[in-house]
Amino acid sequence: MATHQEITESLKAFTEGYSKNQRLKAMNRDWDRNVLVLADDIESAHTLVLKDGELSFSEGKTVDPDLTVISNSDTLADMFFGDITPTEPYMNGTLRIIGSEDDILRLDFISLLIWGE
Amino acid sequence: MLTLRTVVATSAGLTLASSSFVAAIQVAGFLAGDSAWLAVLVGGLLCLAAGACFSELNGILPSAAGIRLYFGRAFGEKTALTVSMLYMLIIMGVVGAESFVLAKVLNQAIPRVEPLVWIVILQVAATLMNIRGIKIAGVFQDAITYGLMISIILISYLGLKKIDFELAAPFVTGGAGSLFSAVAVGIFLFVGFEWVTPLAEEVTDSRLISRGMFLAVGLLSVVYSLFTVVAAASVPREELVSSPVPQLLFAKTVLGDAGVIWAVVISLAASVTTFNAGMISISRFFYATARENALPPVFSRISMRYLTPWVSILAVFAVGLTLSVIILFTGKYLVLVNMAAAAECAVYALAGVSVLVLRKKIRDRRDTFTIPWGPVIPVVTTAVFALLAAGVFVTDPYAAVWTAAGLGLIWWYVHRIVPVLKEKARASRAPRRRSRAASGPAQGVVPAGPASDVDPDKV
Repeated sequence: MATHQEITESLKAFTEGYSKNQRLKAMNRDWDRNVLVLADDIESAHTLVLKDGELSFSEGKTVDPDLTVISNSDTLADMFFGDITPTEPYMNGTLRIIGSEDDILRLDFISLLIWGE
Repeated sequence: MLTLRTVVATSAGLTLASSSFVAAIQVAGFLAGDSAWLAVLVGGLLCLAAGACFSELNGILPSAAGIRLYFGRAFGEKTALTVSMLYMLIIMGVVGAESFVLAKVLNQAIPRVEPLVWIVILQVAATLMNIRGIKIAGVFQDAITYGLMISIILISYLGLKKIDFELAAPFVTGGAGSLFSAVAVGIFLFVGFEWVTPLAEEVTDSRLISRGMFLAVGLLSVVYSLFTVVAAASVPREELVSSPVPQLLFAKTVLGDAGVIWAVVISLAASVTTFNAGMISISRFFYATARENALPPVFSRISMRYLTPWVSILAVFAVGLTLSVIILFTGKYLVLVNMAAAAECAVYALAGVSVLVLRKKIRDRRDTFTIPWGPVIPVVTTAVFALLAAGVFVTDPYAAVWTAAGLGLIWWYVHRIVPVLKEKARASRAPRRRSRAASGPAQGVVPAGPASDVDPDKV
């Protein structure tokens, strides 16, 4: 089981990886989204905010998320650190993402472009 | 957010294809009298039972991953991957058969252009649309689907008037065996209606998906029944059954030369949604499978310009084109129709079993849809569709041989190659989380990802 702090660290790594990639920023210039990241085994909630191509995150929940990412703390930490791809837990049901299919795919594209294949 | 109108249009639009006319006429070919409607209706009712199973599965495990997730939880990862891959391969075959049928229709309208040229044009156009991320959805999808259904009902009505049709033998099937074979092939008419379940997160009320599926199957049953009965009564049955373009023969009989234009417009409209939805689904499946390291990583390359998995789309194009050309030169388009019908039956049978297994495995269910009457409907769904799949294979041994070959090959791939790919991916990935934990979070140094290794913008 990962801690809330580890998930925070993983999201920090994720946003740092994102901000180093100019093409990603250009790609998401018109894709403004609030992404709620929830752990289902510990008390932990974070919000990723994509606005004008820039990605930031904060601890706590957002009121009206466009996408909600729910999984156990270990999977969330591994995924945002890039140790696992989101697809594997998504396909076996460990990871649940509530949102449109296109938005889910875009989130996976972002992860791919930050952490590679 | 999607409305019920669009959910119905999406579900029905995925199944309405040019090759559906071929399957509908094959249904009539099995039966005596005017009883084709009976087989279509029975097929529709059975699909409603399967639809109920999908609704419950989607309630238990709401995810766009669909059968990949349901079967994975019920039967294990390897079985789920094998079934999903085989299913996708067969759907690629349907896309190939679809372009063959459409090319034949277009060739009848413009004989100077050979079917092979039409096939290439159609598939290149569909591929470019997909690479550019153009998606038929919303109001456009509604207009195409409802326009198609109204148009088919209208021409069937004109056909009724023209031949002064009287329903002489609506229940004369020619025997239970004939009805069974007709129902089995008739399942093809509904292939893909359940693909709408992943849209559960895009509607205001998830029950709209179940309602939409049921309405779509009901509407399709009426439309197909009418078309099949009237077409079989208007044109000599042998001529229709042996033709890859029965809708064109029927339209010519009813409308004369104008019928060719009707057939071209209807076939184009029917195929465009099938190409679009089929190619998008298959290419995304390829992409997702590569992302979970079950296919080589090259399939996860994406275009930065259009945000689409271009390598996967090109792979679908290559396989689809190859299959279309094989169909064109062998004329064995019915084998693919039968393989798709059998595969769909097998998937529905497994969906029934999955409901039973997951009811036992996952007891923590919030307020989700449960099929009434306990295990009755899932058990009936499983038994009937398993029998129908067997029935298709008995009717068409070629379909059985090709399906068995595909299953064997994919089974071998999943058990021998996939573990190697997964191990290779695991070994090549540096564990950032553990290394970071060891060095301490205060340092905050994050290894840069190999984003620069990804150079997808090559379209």
